[in-house]
Amino acid sequence: MDRIRILLSRCAALFRRQELDADLDEELRAHIDLAVAENLMRGMTRQDAQTAALRNFGGVTQISERYRVERGLPFLETLAQDIRYGLRQLRKSPGFTLTAVITLALGIGANTAIFTLVHAVLERSLPVADPSRLYRVGDGNTCCYWGGFESDNGDFDLFPYDLFLHLKQSSPEFEQLAAMQAGGSSFSVRSGSSPAKALRSEYVSGNYFSALGVNAYAGRPLVDSDDKPGAAPVLVLSYQAWQSDFAGDPAIVGSTVYVQTHPFTVAGIAPPGFFGDRVIDRPPDVWVPLANEPTIEGAGTSLEPQGEEDTAWLYLLGRVHPQTNIAALQTRLSATLRQWMATSPSFVAHGGAAMIPKQHVVLSPGGGGIQRLQQRTGRGLRMLMLLSSVVLLIACANIANLLLARGTARRAELAVRMALGAPRARLIRQILTQSVLLSLIGGAAGLAVAYGLSHMILALAFPEARNMPIQASPSLPVLGFAFLVSLLTGVIFGAAPAWLSSQAKPAEALRGANRSTGDRSSLPQRALVVLQVSLSVVLLAGAFLMARSLANLEHQNFGIATANRYVLEFDPLGAGYTVARLPGLYRQIQDRLSTLPAVSNVSLARYTPLGGNNWASCVIQQGHPAAGPNDKCYSTWDRVSLRFLDSIGVPIVRGRNFSAQDTQGSTPVVLVNQSFARYFFPNQDPIGKHFGIESPKNSGSFEIAGVFADFKMTDPRGEAFPLFLRPLSQQYLGYTDPEAVSSEESSMFVGSIIIQFTRTQQDAEAMVRRTLAEIDPNLTVFHFVSYDSQIALNFNQDRLIARLTSLFGVLALILASVGVYGVMSYFVARRKGDIGIRMALGAKRSSVVAMVLRRALGQILLGLALGVPIALFVGHLMASLLYGVTRYDPFALLGATLVLGVCAAVAGFIPARRAASIDPMQALRTE
Amino acid sequence: MGENRPDVLQGTLDLMVLKTLETMGPMHGYGIARRIEQVSGNALSLNQGTIYPALLRLQQRGWIAGKWGTSETGRRAKFYSLSRIGRKQIEEETGNWERVAATMARFLAPSN
Repeated sequence: MDRIRILLSRCAALFRRQELDADLDEELRAHIDLAVAENLMRGMTRQDAQTAALRNFGGVTQISERYRVERGLPFLETLAQDIRYGLRQLRKSPGFTLTAVITLALGIGANTAIFTLVHAVLERSLPVADPSRLYRVGDGNTCCYWGGFESDNGDFDLFPYDLFLHLKQSSPEFEQLAAMQAGGSSFSVRSGSSPAKALRSEYVSGNYFSALGVNAYAGRPLVDSDDKPGAAPVLVLSYQAWQSDFAGDPAIVGSTVYVQTHPFTVAGIAPPGFFGDRVIDRPPDVWVPLANEPTIEGAGTSLEPQGEEDTAWLYLLGRVHPQTNIAALQTRLSATLRQWMATSPSFVAHGGAAMIPKQHVVLSPGGGGIQRLQQRTGRGLRMLMLLSSVVLLIACANIANLLLARGTARRAELAVRMALGAPRARLIRQILTQSVLLSLIGGAAGLAVAYGLSHMILALAFPEARNMPIQASPSLPVLGFAFLVSLLTGVIFGAAPAWLSSQAKPAEALRGANRSTGDRSSLPQRALVVLQVSLSVVLLAGAFLMARSLANLEHQNFGIATANRYVLEFDPLGAGYTVARLPGLYRQIQDRLSTLPAVSNVSLARYTPLGGNNWASCVIQQGHPAAGPNDKCYSTWDRVSLRFLDSIGVPIVRGRNFSAQDTQGSTPVVLVNQSFARYFFPNQDPIGKHFGIESPKNSGSFEIAGVFADFKMTDPRGEAFPLFLRPLSQQYLGYTDPEAVSSEESSMFVGSIIIQFTRTQQDAEAMVRRTLAEIDPNLTVFHFVSYDSQIALNFNQDRLIARLTSLFGVLALILASVGVYGVMSYFVARRKGDIGIRMALGAKRSSVVAMVLRRALGQILLGLALGVPIALFVGHLMASLLYGVTRYDPFALLGATLVLGVCAAVAGFIPARRAASIDPMQALRTE
Repeated sequence: MGENRPDVLQGTLDLMVLKTLETMGPMHGYGIARRIEQVSGNALSLNQGTIYPALLRLQQRGWIAGKWGTSETGRRAKFYSLSRIGRKQIEEETGNWERVAATMARFLAPSN
C-alpha cells in the first residue's frame, strides 16, 4: 500500500519539478537562516555563524541531490535528459544525421516495401472461413480452353464440365467441390437505361460460395438450384463493382440486368473484401452460374461435350471434411480420372489410350486460392527480396561506418568526461540513447519510403488493375524486423566502441588522443567499406543485366510495324449481333472509320499480334490421318479482314495477299506464315496445298494462297509459331460436327480493330469512340491503346523488375560512394597532424594525395575482387529472367566494376585533395 | 505491518522525527533537527541536512504533512505536523523497536 502511495507521489513530482525545486531551495535557505540566527544569538560573529551553520548542515548540494533522487523517478528523468542531449547532438552535426537518416530510410523503406508486397501477393489467404480445409484439384497453370491431354508428365489441372460432375459425385471426402472458369471474361452489362459497362465475370458452379464458406452481404449467394438447366438466370455482384458501377444502390438486388443482352436477376452482393478464388489484377465483378454459359456464349459454348471434343476449361477447388487423408484422396481422384478417361472418346482416340496410365491430379492447398499470379511472378518477387536485403545490408554497413568514425572522434571527449567524474554506465547509456534515437528517426522515415514505394511498385506492375485485392500498406512484422536490424547496428557500432574506449584509463586516452598514427580501430571500418563495395558490385551487375534484358525485349524486332497505330477491343456478340448481321457491321465500321481524318487503314481481327490472346487448332494436311496425342500438330490461327497484313506492316513473301475476289462463294483460302510453311510443308512449295482443322474429313478445306513473313503473335520471348490467317469474308460451311460448326461460327466474331493513321492524331480515341457509338451505341469499347502500349503491356513484370534492380543499383552506388568518402574523410581528419608533419618535412602535395588515394584504392579493389564472384553467382540465379543476355555476361560485370570503381575512386579523391591542401602550420597547431 | 528497512539508520531517523513531532507539535525542519540533536545529547553526529530526505520519505508515506508558515523570527519556513495515520504508525514503530532492542539485549548479554 505504502509502495503505491510512494510511487504515485514520485510520478506526480515529475510534473512539478521546477516548482518543487524552488520550494526545496527556499526551505533549505530558511534552515540556514534560522541556524545563523541562533548562532548569532549565541554570540558568534556573522562570519562564524555562517560557517558553523553550513558546516552543521552538511553539503547543501549533496543533500539537494539526495533529496531529488528520492523525490522523483530518476531513471525517467535521466532518460529524458539523455534524449534531449542526444537530439541536440544530432542537430549539431546535420551532415552526419542527414546521411544516417537517409541511409536508414532507404534501406529500411526499400526492404519493407518489397517484403510487404511479396507477403501480400505470395502469402495472401482467401478471405473465407477456415482456408486450411480448401484444396485445389490440380496445381498447374494450364489455361484457358483445352482439349485432350494437358502436359507431358501427365499432370491434369484443367477440367471439362462432365468430368467435374463425375468427380463431384464420386468424392464424398469433399464437403463441397466447386468448379470455376479458369480464365475470365469481359461482359457488357447494362442496368436500366444507363449505357452498358464492361465488367469482369467468372462462371462458377452453384456451390461456389458455400464451398468457400462465404455469405452474401445483401440478398443471397448462388445455390445449387441456380446451376440447373432451365433455372432462372441469376448472378452475384461483387461489392466493389456494386459501389463503383452501380452507385451502391440497394435496389439492385432483385432487379434485372442485361448481360450480353440476356436478362439476369441480381441475386445478391458478395461481402466487401471478397475478391473471388485468386489474387489477380482485375478480380471478377459478377459471378454467373455455369448453367447459363450456353445462353451467353451461344455457338461457342464449352459446357457440354460436342461430338469427340470435350473442352476443359474449369479449375476445381473444394472444401474437404476435417481429418481427410489428402494423399489417399489424391490417389483415389487420379484413379477416378483415369477410369473416366478410358471411357471418353476424346482421350482414347488416336492412340490416346496409351497415355492414360500417366495421367494424375495433384491436390494442392487451396487456402491461397488459384495460384496463377503467384506462379508467374514468384520468381521475380523472390529475387527482388534478395536484392533489397542486400541494399539493407549496405545501408547498415554505412551506418556502422558513420558511427564508428564518430565514436573514435569522440574518444578524447569521453575520456575528459570520465576524468570529471561521469559514471561509465551513464556515458554509455547516453551514447546508446543517441543510437536508438537515430534508428527511430530513420525507421520513421523508412516507413514513409516504404509506403510510397509499395504504391509505386503496384502501379507499375499492374497498371490495368481495378480493385486489385492487395494492400500496399507496409506490414508491421516486416517493418519491425528491418527496424530491429538497424537498431542493432546502431547499438553495436555506436555503443561497443564507446564501451571499449571507456575501459581505457582517461589519462592514457587523453595522452594519445590526437597523436596516434596507429589505426587499429579503423580495421572494422575498412572491412565495412570492402563489404559495401563488393555488395554494390553485385547490385550494379544485376541492374545492368536486367536493363539490357529489358532493352532486348522491348526493342526486338517483333516483325510488325506499330507506328501511329491504335488497337481497340470490342465485343459484337455482347452487343447482340448474330453471325448474319456481322458483315454489315464490319462494312460499316471500316467505311465510317476510314473517313476519319488521317486514317490510312482500318482492319478487323479476332486477335491482334501480341494482344495476349490467341486460338490454336490441330492442323491436318490433306490426305493425312488425324493426329495422335503425341503429334505436335498445333498452329495458331486468326480471322482477319482483307488488308490486315498491310495494317501491321507485314509483307507477303510468296504467293498473294487476300483480295476482294475471296468471297463466300470462291475457294476458301488462307495465308500462312513462314514457320507454318517450314513446319508442315518442309522443302515444298506450300502455295496451292490444302489442309484442314477439326477432322480428317475436312482436311481439304483450305487452300494456301500466300506466305507472309514471320512475326510474333503471342509469345514475345519465343520464336515465331506456325500461324495461318483466314478472311472474314469466308465462313466454311463444310462441317457436319455440331461442335465444329459452332466453333466456326464463333470465329466469325472479331474482337479488335486496328486503325492506322498517317500521322500522330491527338484525339484519336475520342473520335473513334464517337464513330462507333454512332454506328451502334450498344457496342461497348473495352480498350483503346496505341499499338506500342499494347506491346509494352507484355513486359510489365520485366519492366518493373528492371526498374527496381536499377533503383537498387543506384542506391548501392550512392551508399558505397558515401561510405568510401566518409571513411577517407575521417582518415584524413585523424591524420591531419601526421600529414602536416610530413609536408613540413618536405613531402610534396602530390605524394600526400597519392598516399590517401592508394589507401582508398586498396579497399575498393579488394571489394571489387570479392564482389565479382558473388555477382556471377547472382547472375546464375537470375538466368530465367534474362532475355538475350547470358547469365555470365562480361559487359554487365565490366560495366558494374568500372562504374563503381570510378565513383568510389572519385569519392576517395575528394578528401585526398583536401589532405593535400592542408596548411602544415595549421595542422600542427590544432592539437 | 512490518516493512523492509534497507537502512536501519534511515529508519531510526524517521522514528525520531515522528516522536519529535508527537511531543512538540508542528515544527519546521530546523527546529526538528535541533530538537533531535538536543535529545540525543549530541551523541549522534548527524549532519542536519539529512533530515530533509527523511521528511520527504515521511511525506511520501503520508505520515506527516507540510505547510508553509512563518517562523518565530518572522522567516517564511515549512512546518510539518503528524497526520492521523502517522500517529498510529508511531505505536507500530515503537513496538517494533522495543522488540528489536530486547532481542539485541539478549544476544549481547554475557552468556552464563
